[in-house]
Amino acid sequence: MWLWNKLKQLAISLRAGVVTLHYPFEPRPAPAGFRGQPVWDHTKCIGCAGCANHCPARTIFLRDICQEVRILLYDSARCTYCGRCVDLCPEKAITMSDKFELATDNRQDLTQAIELFMMTCQRCGRCYDLEIKNYIDRLTLLGYRYDSLEVRKVIKKSTSEFQPEMLEKTATYQRPERLEK
Amino acid sequence: MAKKEELRELLKAELKDDFIGEELAGERRLFVDVHNRALVKTAEILMKQGARYQVGVGYESRKGGRGLALVHTFAFDNDALIVIVRTFAPEDNPEFDSLTPIIPGAGWSERECIDLLGFRFKNHPGPKRLVLSDDWPEGIYPLRHDVPHDLMPPATRDVVFRLEQPPPGTSIVPFGPFHSSLHEPAHFSVYVDGENIKGCEYRGFMTHRGIEKLAQTELTYNDVPFVAERICGICGSVHSVNYAQAVEAAAGIKISRRAEFIRVVMLELERLHSHLLWLGVAGHLIGFDTVFMQAWRIRERIMWLAERLTGNRKTYGMVIVGGVRRDINKEKAEDIKQVLKEVEREMLSLEKAIINDKTIHKRTRGVGYLSKEDALKWNLIGPVARARGIAIDARKDHPYAAYDELEFEVPVVDYGDVWGTLVVRVKEVYEAINIIRQCLNKMPADGPLAIDLDAPIPSGRQALSVVEAPRGEAVHYVLTGEENKPERWRVRAPTYANLQAVPEMLMNNKLADFPIIVGSIDPCISCTDRVVVIEIGLQKIKVMRKEELETISRKMRFEG
Ligand code: SF4
Ligand code: SF4
Repeated sequence: MWLWNKLKQLAISLRAGVVTLHYPFEPRPAPAGFRGQPVWDHTKCIGCAGCANHCPARTIFLRDICQEVRILLYDSARCTYCGRCVDLCPEKAITMSDKFELATDNRQDLTQAIELFMMTCQRCGRCYDLEIKNYIDRLTLLGYRYDSLEVRKVIKKSTSEFQPEMLEKTATYQRPERLEK
Repeated sequence: MAKKEELRELLKAELKDDFIGEELAGERRLFVDVHNRALVKTAEILMKQGARYQVGVGYESRKGGRGLALVHTFAFDNDALIVIVRTFAPEDNPEFDSLTPIIPGAGWSERECIDLLGFRFKNHPGPKRLVLSDDWPEGIYPLRHDVPHDLMPPATRDVVFRLEQPPPGTSIVPFGPFHSSLHEPAHFSVYVDGENIKGCEYRGFMTHRGIEKLAQTELTYNDVPFVAERICGICGSVHSVNYAQAVEAAAGIKISRRAEFIRVVMLELERLHSHLLWLGVAGHLIGFDTVFMQAWRIRERIMWLAERLTGNRKTYGMVIVGGVRRDINKEKAEDIKQVLKEVEREMLSLEKAIINDKTIHKRTRGVGYLSKEDALKWNLIGPVARARGIAIDARKDHPYAAYDELEFEVPVVDYGDVWGTLVVRVKEVYEAINIIRQCLNKMPADGPLAIDLDAPIPSGRQALSVVEAPRGEAVHYVLTGEENKPERWRVRAPTYANLQAVPEMLMNNKLADFPIIVGSIDPCISCTDRVVVIEIGLQKIKVMRKEELETISRKMRFEG
């Protein structure tokens, strides 16, 4: 009985043979529809911030450095390759590429930045007219964003809840019991 | 339906003035608000009626002045009904009666509330720290609204979790936080008398990531499914589907039938690869590596299939609130059928080769035994319960998505040991294949993948959704909030319920069987842990000081 089982297991293993792929030496293309690194097409992007506001990982940052120039920075470090940005871009400016070999020792290799020249609205002086219901409005546009491109941090409304005093206070809080020496 | 009326009348009659209000949401849920002092009584009434305790949720009301709220949920599996009991306490005195003395399974939920919201529980037998790391300062409760999601209190050294003294005559063998038999960080301090295990204490929650807090502060409704999916590396869809269902229920959104079928296909594919993964791991834990290699070889086909269907082998990203994102068209359906055929054939031959193998029987029979009564007492779920003669399965008991239209068996055995869980899981592999085939045949040919959410989701609505994950029932509780984000989102992963009974399963077993007993519940530590970002103090062995680790990680973050 025991031997019979072992023989059957041996047969399965032999039939399967070696299944390990010679991957790094033989290329292994991703299947169609693969969600690899997103790629921006700067000629199509209109700077609506739809992708930045809906990226679940908050890894797309926008900043208006002056009235006319808006910078969109894709900092891939936190990207989860979910493809939400692609779904939501009204201009189809983003595509999920099949790039997945993204290991690098330089973060700049993966970062994409676009400088967008924005028109100024003659009426309100801002970039978009928010009174007229247009497609961009429906993306629940939060308006200007002043994300910090240096520390790659999203700066928006909810962060106003942050109180720096609280962080300071924590240093003096009573700690749980300490380990006796 | 009748049961719902009956329970409502019963609660009203018994509680009288303490019955504050109710919310009628659909046929299968009963939301009641009761007075704080009547909480234990309510629980007693419901338990006497045959309820199974699911989860406790605490939250802070953002406005309305009702202060802090505690929600306990009770499932009536035979009547497809879930009763959600909510009670309030003022912010300056957040004291509740503990349910743990009558329902041991409530212990963790309550300890979590103590840690994260600063509740106090009268008569809790062991209100130790559960979720937060040991050096988290007292008096800061992360889930309170005034605590920002990115608060990072400075770390301290030399703070350790106070483990209990072992019972007299035994000594401690520590397993973890990092141990070759555990695949994720958790600490078991196992009490042994010679080779025999006499008890154990568990300290886990070392992989908190602050996901619930994040959803309540930073993310919006349709961001959360993608984060929910990352709660677990194996059963991601379970959490995203579950969350989406909860939000849809709260907002009264009805998604298309086709989307429901696609969700079921993804859930069952996940069950398929999860059970094969478990089979492999179980083989590995008992030193039977042929099973490990072959099960994982078969599983790989499913991973590739998922890659072709969704664009990634894991974290499918298929689910959003309102439907799904990718279609399963004719060619993809053919692809699925082809892969299922091969997987079924290979699985059958693997099963034949190993099911009578003496090695497996000797290492699993009678190991980790727990009687049906104990399993009921601890409210076990999933294959762990079904191996102990309890026929519970959320797909049958509380049908969701398209399961009401599908025919399938729920395998139940009464071995009560690790062997039982193995048999149940192997049978479920074939059931999952069967379900996917039915889905492909019964799926309506058209229907929108996702419906437009044109109206904003109203705030202040509660909803509870359950999904049968490969490891058992996962529960998501959602309270909708303002500004397009949930006010409270609570995830109870199946391991959260099952892990609490592990000390009991280990009792009187041999130390060498520890890995497979813990493995038999298919523990998913990161699912269970979810909540906060900090690691536990590095026990006694200090490989690398925390400051060093922090400096390194900070440096990495700001460079670049
Ligand atoms: S793929 Fe997802 S995570 Fe990555 S940038 Fe796009 S939306 Fe953000
Ligand atoms: S959503 Fe598209 S158009 Fe809008 S900012 Fe992003 S890439 Fe540009």
